[in-house]
Amino acid sequence: MTKSQLIWLVIFAVGAVNYAARLSFIAFFARREMPPLLAEALKHVPAAMLTAIVVPAVVFAAPGKLDIGFANPKLIAAVAAGIVAWRGRNPLLTIGIGMVVLWLVQYVVG
Amino acid sequence: MRKHFSRSAFTEGVRDMLPAVVGMFPFGIVCGVGAISAGASPLAALAMSLIMFSGAAQIIAAQLIAAGAPFAVIVLSCFVVSLRFLMYSAALAPYLRPLDHRWRNLIAFLLTDQAFAAAIHKFRAADDLKQSASYFLGGGAVLWLMWQLATLAGILLGSVIPPAWQLEFVVPLCFLSLLAPLVRDRPTLVVIIAAAVSAIALDSMPMRLSMICAGLLGIGAGVIADRIGVGRD
Repeated sequence: MTKSQLIWLVIFAVGAVNYAARLSFIAFFARREMPPLLAEALKHVPAAMLTAIVVPAVVFAAPGKLDIGFANPKLIAAVAAGIVAWRGRNPLLTIGIGMVVLWLVQYVVG
Repeated sequence: MRKHFSRSAFTEGVRDMLPAVVGMFPFGIVCGVGAISAGASPLAALAMSLIMFSGAAQIIAAQLIAAGAPFAVIVLSCFVVSLRFLMYSAALAPYLRPLDHRWRNLIAFLLTDQAFAAAIHKFRAADDLKQSASYFLGGGAVLWLMWQLATLAGILLGSVIPPAWQLEFVVPLCFLSLLAPLVRDRPTLVVIIAAAVSAIALDSMPMRLSMICAGLLGIGAGVIADRIGVGRD
């Protein structure tokens, strides 16, 4: 198999796997009742997955290098943005403050 | 399809997604650049975004192709990072039941972290499915379109956005702005703490399994908190 063939094979295989994962339960529960415990658990998906995505992106300075101190610009920026988000609930302001704090702290630290 | 389409909700979905697009664009460029440097032709690099449509999977696939990994390893690794789609699919499923299969197929195709996170509260809050489905479609469509343009920019122009700008940090900030309003009750706080601690503790797991495991542990902690009545008077 040439590299080009491998790449095209990967594209279609992963594309199919991704689409199957995305459609899976949407299709499965289209005609079936969902068990109550599952419905109860799924309520927590947004909070759990958003946390699982955001936290590593903020607390790791480099892959595997945990940095939860004042010298980590991403952490300071995320804390500032988190406060804005929690109080004001304005996404644009949250993102704006977060980026400005990130750039400022980076300028000061770096 | 038309029965459930609202133009105003679609437009609102597009508009609300624009900040996220700013953060997603540098990722799309990285995916385009990464695919080319892994040896993909420009057409194949674009096809990755058109067909796979998942930044995390595309970056991993490009890295593994460049490293000469076998086909099965590449597909399995991509499947692991796509496990979270199973959860999003299940969480959306109850709301989509009244829609016909074309709507469901389209929503599934456009299901991403951003589109899910932005729209799930609409599905929960609104009893008008027409509004929430159209809102999802608007956000999902603009993400898909801009993802293709970003990949194309990476393929044709290379890394045009200076890495020092750290524009990709907009992505976690977007998620943060969606996460903060969820902190309304104690069980949700338990979910967030459990998922955060797990995500840090499990970070060394292979194939980025830590993300899905931290998510599952957070959900488990939330169910327990609900059961034992944390935060109830």
